[in-house]
Amino acid sequence: MQYEKDFLKKLYENLLDMRLLEKKMVDTYAQGRVPGHVHSGVGQEATYAGVLTNFKEGDYYKRTHRVTAIPYMMGTSLDTFFGELLAKKTGNSGGRGGSLHIGELRTGDLGFSGTLGCDAAVGVGAALTIDMEGRDNVAFVFMGDGTSSRGPVYEAMNLAAAWKLPVLFVCQNNQFAISTPSSYSIAAENAVADRAPGYAMPAKVVDGTDVLAVYEAAKELLEGVRAGKGPAVLECKDYRWRGHFEGDQCAYRDAAVTEDWIEHKDCVKNFEAMLLEQGVLTQEEVDRMRSDFDHAMDEAILRAEAAPEMEPEEIYDGLYV
Amino acid sequence: MKVTYAKAIGDALKEEMRRDQKVLIYGEDVAQFGNIFGVTRGMLEEFGPKRVRNTPITETAIIGSAIGAAETGLRPCVELMYSDFTMVAFTEIFHCVSKWRYMHGPEYRLPLVIRSASGASNGAGSEHSNTVESLFLHAPGLTIITPSCPYDAKGLLKSAIRSDNPVLFCEPKQLYQTKQEIPDEIYESDYTIPIGVADVKRPGRDVTLVAIGLMVPRALEAAEKLAAEGIEVEVIDPRTIAPLDKETIFASIRKTHLAAVVEEGNKTAGVGAELAAMFQEELYDELDGPVARIAALDVPMPYNIRMEKYSIPSVERICASIRAML
Repeated sequence: MQYEKDFLKKLYENLLDMRLLEKKMVDTYAQGRVPGHVHSGVGQEATYAGVLTNFKEGDYYKRTHRVTAIPYMMGTSLDTFFGELLAKKTGNSGGRGGSLHIGELRTGDLGFSGTLGCDAAVGVGAALTIDMEGRDNVAFVFMGDGTSSRGPVYEAMNLAAAWKLPVLFVCQNNQFAISTPSSYSIAAENAVADRAPGYAMPAKVVDGTDVLAVYEAAKELLEGVRAGKGPAVLECKDYRWRGHFEGDQCAYRDAAVTEDWIEHKDCVKNFEAMLLEQGVLTQEEVDRMRSDFDHAMDEAILRAEAAPEMEPEEIYDGLYV
Repeated sequence: MKVTYAKAIGDALKEEMRRDQKVLIYGEDVAQFGNIFGVTRGMLEEFGPKRVRNTPITETAIIGSAIGAAETGLRPCVELMYSDFTMVAFTEIFHCVSKWRYMHGPEYRLPLVIRSASGASNGAGSEHSNTVESLFLHAPGLTIITPSCPYDAKGLLKSAIRSDNPVLFCEPKQLYQTKQEIPDEIYESDYTIPIGVADVKRPGRDVTLVAIGLMVPRALEAAEKLAAEGIEVEVIDPRTIAPLDKETIFASIRKTHLAAVVEEGNKTAGVGAELAAMFQEELYDELDGPVARIAALDVPMPYNIRMEKYSIPSVERICASIRAML
């Protein structure tokens, strides 16, 4: 497959930025500067980057708690991002939502429910709007393998299929629901893809650490979805490098396996190596991209820390329109 | 004209769908079947299968999809058939619908309505007879409306559909076939009733009786009987349970100095429990006696009709409770 150089550079930049942002959240949390929880998605960036490189104006996506950095790739500024993470007035909900609810509707972000799976049908509803308006857009519904065991996910899939709505369900299978391995909780080999035939949906399983493979698989499925053939499933296999949340020591799993994934299946490192080898990027460019974005994040964090919080007395603001 | 409660609901839906292309209805058996109470009959024919949709039996997806549809520009008015089924989608309503805009920011408006038939009717049994207002009172951000007569039902449903806040709209099913005389020119005038405004259904000086839904006609009947005994009861219908029109209710209590609440739901942790606590907290010096809670008995609703009737406040029970206050 031949790609434009600019396309590959942009994809790499998105992937890299998400990696750096995920890491920055971990570091900032470790420094005690984040008031709530951080669910790191380090190592899993390729699924979002690959799938949403297919995002068109007018599409929607329903995010998950991992990768938290995704709203940045979709157009939310670092100021809004860190404003919300640090519970400041500059966040998208004024710091009242937190890391799980960072995002802006204008970028296509439909929001997220911390009660996992309850929001799967939110993407189906957005697809209903698309259908009513006769657009060739789609709604992406991301979920993890853990969430895939919940009933509302299947109600959402069934309704999308029954109404033939333009939804791409994307399972980011990182193999763990907090501490429980998917091999224990899901009898099928592929958490969502294997169940797709039950909803008459086409499905693909792809290496979720190979950003171009993810991009291509999503692209292929989306041809049918955008053409009005109904929903589809893409399952991306990757691995959760860190704990469910920061502070989780992962005592329940074999550290050697984790090390192996980090060593051999690093989606950023592998893509970077490929682009360097092909001469799409130079080491100098890579280094500059890293330091530029790192600097931009540090500046944004300092601005967020200096930003005001909402006053406690503003607690009722916006409860009703 | 004589209008039934069910017709008023159906007409409100039709008028709003004619007025605004963004409005659509969906739920279990609302299309060809016209809803199990006939409320949406004829709508599929008028508005077509895109705007009047049947769903599978899928409460969580009905609510979840309504969120997605509402935030992206539609105004879904979805139906959960029996209010008991809100519990199937409790998380979707409690966590998602009511909190969505607050936790994501002002861009995320949810102009959606969740309609359902609530309360007991003729042996529907323990899982098809509940009222759920009190359960969802615990969900700030949600608007809860329970109209008690055809006129209010039509005007409030139209306001609910036009509201940018998510609304839980409860329709006491024993009211569906009740009739009210409404002059044609008013009924057809596109009138609306503001959300959050209570209505004094009957003025009186002795006792303030806050009545909800099905209990409003019973409270009025009780007030009529008690008037013959020289007891003047002021019957107030909050119409919107959340956010509550405290001003109208408090003004009444400041006048009568005695308050009671009558509801179709269970007594323990019911709407009356909340109101009684609120009254003593905020109007302690105005009250000349304890706030009476007149409510359904704390049992799963029995299938047996005599037991069902025994459980829910009757006109006689309301009268007895009020007499005991004086």
